[in-house]
Amino acid sequence: MLSKLLSSQIIIYHCILFFSFSLSVNYFVDLEIVNYLAYVCFHLTLIYLFFYFFHFSHIFVTFLYAIFFDIFLVDSISPHLITFLAFVVLFYFTKKYLFNLSSSNVSYIIFILTLIMFISEALIANLQFNYPINFENFLWIFITFIIIFYPTLLVFSKIDKL
Amino acid sequence: MALSFKVKAISRKRFIKNIFLSFIFLSSFLLILFSKSDYFVINKFKSISNTYLHPITSFVTTPLKVASNLQTQFYEFRNLKVENKILKEEIMRLKKWQALAIHNSSENRVLKKLLNATNNNLSLVKTASILTRNDFLYSKMVKINAGLKDGVIKEMAVINHRGLVGRTVDTSINNSKVLLLTDPNSSISIKTISNENHSLVRGADDGVHLVSAFIKDEKMPKVGDLVVTSGSAQVFPADILVGKIVKIIKNNFYVLPFVNFKNIDYVQVVETK
Repeated sequence: MLSKLLSSQIIIYHCILFFSFSLSVNYFVDLEIVNYLAYVCFHLTLIYLFFYFFHFSHIFVTFLYAIFFDIFLVDSISPHLITFLAFVVLFYFTKKYLFNLSSSNVSYIIFILTLIMFISEALIANLQFNYPINFENFLWIFITFIIIFYPTLLVFSKIDKL
Repeated sequence: MALSFKVKAISRKRFIKNIFLSFIFLSSFLLILFSKSDYFVINKFKSISNTYLHPITSFVTTPLKVASNLQTQFYEFRNLKVENKILKEEIMRLKKWQALAIHNSSENRVLKKLLNATNNNLSLVKTASILTRNDFLYSKMVKINAGLKDGVIKEMAVINHRGLVGRTVDTSINNSKVLLLTDPNSSISIKTISNENHSLVRGADDGVHLVSAFIKDEKMPKVGDLVVTSGSAQVFPADILVGKIVKIIKNNFYVLPFVNFKNIDYVQVVETK
């Protein structure tokens, strides 16, 4: 079990997660696109990790990241925590069906899930803490997501073959 | 026997998993609840994560910070010639203003003596620099390197040379979090310089302007009016420059802050004398 948890791919994915988390919570005024890239990359990596390397400990890792995202980006705990946990529950109870899907179907599901996560985070932040849904930010997130989605999955599939 | 042992092991594993999941959901529920009620535990948790986790994330992003600084320096070098010309013109203009200011200052001193008026109502607590910025996506916050050990406490006004920046919302021993004016949850009471209109403003949806949330006696100010803090909410000292009214849409006026929030390096934490 420990060897599964410490396999080289999982360590790489956790490094990607931490690096993209660090970039997301430190705002670069002159390189704003890096923040968008990191934020999108974090969500994609997290969902991918669940689909292909599911381990019970990942739920705890997700829980921690959600709290820290909320503290650093929203200053109150809720939007990321609720969204990430909803994803965990959804995944946990449907995983036996999801694991039977083909890789192309899984990529469609990852695409849709990531979009739903972005929207639900913004909606919860708006409903609970009065943060307006900034359409310019959203547009940037969607554009970044659409551009990097396919290349990221390609890179991830290369990492899987290591 | 082997089968029964296997069944027992599986059921024990499932039991541990269920306990673990319940723990995660219970802690999430409590955290959300505490976050809403502004409980002591959550503030402690925030301050600990700011003190210990943020330095690590900052360290990880150091190469990018260096790249960002290099890019800024490159643009500055490229614009050096044009900027020099602008600065020379500015010096000429400022020299005229300086003469006028010296004249006004001496006149002011004499008038104050005649009226027996008190001096500036601001007292400086600490000058600090910006450590990290968290104004990406949702909240508009920055972290400064002044905290409880420097006498900085919650709800203190933060200014720079251009005017009001925000207020401190969370302090630890060495650092503090500053909620910028442009945050939608940051509300300040302001008045026009002419003292005719009093109102409350908060961060607008665009993240750049401030929008009126309440206008006293529904007296609408004019476009071009300068606004300062009114000091009535007891958080900000009175008469700190805030910005200029730039547009009026549907009974709401929009203020463009004087502070350029994309370019703040140093700030001052102040309080009323």
